[in-house]
Amino acid sequence: MRAEDATSDLTPTNAASSGVTLDRKTLKTLARRSDRPGLVYLARWGAGLLVTGSFVWLSLGSWWLWPAMFVHGVLLSVPAYAISHETAHGTAFRSHWLNETVLWIGSLLYMEEPLHRRYTHTNHHTFTWHVGKDSQMPFDTPMALGGWLAEVSGFALMRFHASVMLRLASGRHSDMMRMVAPDDELRKMSRNVWIFLAVYASIGLAIALGVHWLAWFLVLPRLLGAPVMLLFTLIQHVEMAENAPSILQSTRSFRNGRLGRFLYMHMNNHVEHHLYPQVPFFALPALREAVASQVPAPDPGFVQTNWEVFTLVVRRTLGLAARAVSIRQAPHMATVGGVKRHMAHRTM
Amino acid sequence: MSEWIEVCATDCIDEEDVIRWDHDSRSFAIYHTKKGFFATAAYCTHQQADLEDGVVIGAVIECPLHQGRFDIATGKALRAPVRIDLATFPVKVEGGIVFINI
Repeated sequence: MRAEDATSDLTPTNAASSGVTLDRKTLKTLARRSDRPGLVYLARWGAGLLVTGSFVWLSLGSWWLWPAMFVHGVLLSVPAYAISHETAHGTAFRSHWLNETVLWIGSLLYMEEPLHRRYTHTNHHTFTWHVGKDSQMPFDTPMALGGWLAEVSGFALMRFHASVMLRLASGRHSDMMRMVAPDDELRKMSRNVWIFLAVYASIGLAIALGVHWLAWFLVLPRLLGAPVMLLFTLIQHVEMAENAPSILQSTRSFRNGRLGRFLYMHMNNHVEHHLYPQVPFFALPALREAVASQVPAPDPGFVQTNWEVFTLVVRRTLGLAARAVSIRQAPHMATVGGVKRHMAHRTM
Repeated sequence: MSEWIEVCATDCIDEEDVIRWDHDSRSFAIYHTKKGFFATAAYCTHQQADLEDGVVIGAVIECPLHQGRFDIATGKALRAPVRIDLATFPVKVEGGIVFINI
C-alpha cells in the first residue's frame, strides 16, 4: 500500500475512537505551547550529564568505570529517546526551529533519521498496535523470553536502526517505509541518513585514531543505557490488546517516581498521550487529572510493572499460566501452555 | 460567483484560536490571530482531521492528529506529515462582524 492510499479506510486511534471526551476550553489550555519547559528540561539534562560525566572522568582506569558509564548512559539514553519522541511530535517547543534542531540532535543520539522517526510515529498514532499496520510494533505478541531478551538487550532496536539506515542510504525502501511516507519524503530521508552515517563513521574513526573519550563518554554509555530506555518503552503496549480501536485497551499508563518522570518526560502517562497527542510533555500530568474518571488507573511503578511483565514472559515461555496480577493485561494474553499462535509479528 | 457572507461577531473567536464554520454543506476553519482574522478549509490535507481541534501557534495552525503545521494566512504546508497546502479564503471585518468570501 502506498502512503497516499493508506488513509482510505481510516479511523485513527485517539480520544474519539476511545470514547473519551474533554471540553474544548480545557484541551486548548492543555495544548498551549511554550519554549520554556523544554529549555529548562535541556538545561537540567545537560547539568545532569555533566555530573554523571564527571563520575566517568573520576573513575577512568578503575573498575568503577563500568557502573559510572552505566549511570551516565541511562541519563544519556532515556532522555534521548524521550526528546526525540517529543520533538518528532513537534510539541517540545513552541518555536519550530528549536524543535527541529533538537529533533536532529535527539535523533542522532537515538540513532534514527528524523523524518523516518516522524513518519513511522505518525503511523503508530493512526494505527496504534494494529497488526500489520502499526509501523512501530517492536516485538512479536504475545511476548516470549526470546523476544524480551532481544528487545531489552537493545539488539532488536539496533538491528532495526541499522537496517533502516542501510535501506535509506541505498534507496532500497521497504514496503513499510513506502506505506508510511511519500516518495519525495523518502528521498529526503535518504539524503539525511548519509549525514547520520558520516557522523557515526567520524566518531568510529576518531576512536580508532585514539580519541578514546568518545568511547567512554558517548558510545559505551549509550549502549549500556539502552536496556533501561527499552524497559521504559517496552511497557507502553506489551500485554495489551492488538487491533483495538480504543487506546484504553491497547496502551498502558504507569506510575513513575520523580526521576523516572524526568528521564521519560512524563510519557508514563502513555494512555493520555495517545488520546491527545497535541498536549506537550509538561502538561501530561494535568491532562491525566482531567481525564482520570474516563481512563483506567495507571499500572504500578516502572520496576514493579517491568518485573511482572518479565515473570509473565518467563511463565509463558515455560508453558505455565501467564495471568497478570497487578498490571493490566488483554484477556487473550493470559496464556496457558505457552504461545500457540502469534497475534502480531514485529514491524521494527 | 463569490460573495461575502457573515460568519460571526469578532468576539466569537478568542485570540489565538480557531472555530469551524459550516455553510451550504461546506466547512471552513476561521482563525483569530494577532495579525487578524483568516479562513482556510476546515480539514487537514493529511488525514482529514478537524482543524477546529488543532492548536493555533502565532500565525500557524497545528493539526490535532499528527501535529503537521500550516501557515494560516497562505495555507502553506510547513511541517511533515502534511505536504498539501490548505485552501484559503478572503476574510474581512466590518462593524465588529467577520465576513468570508467563498
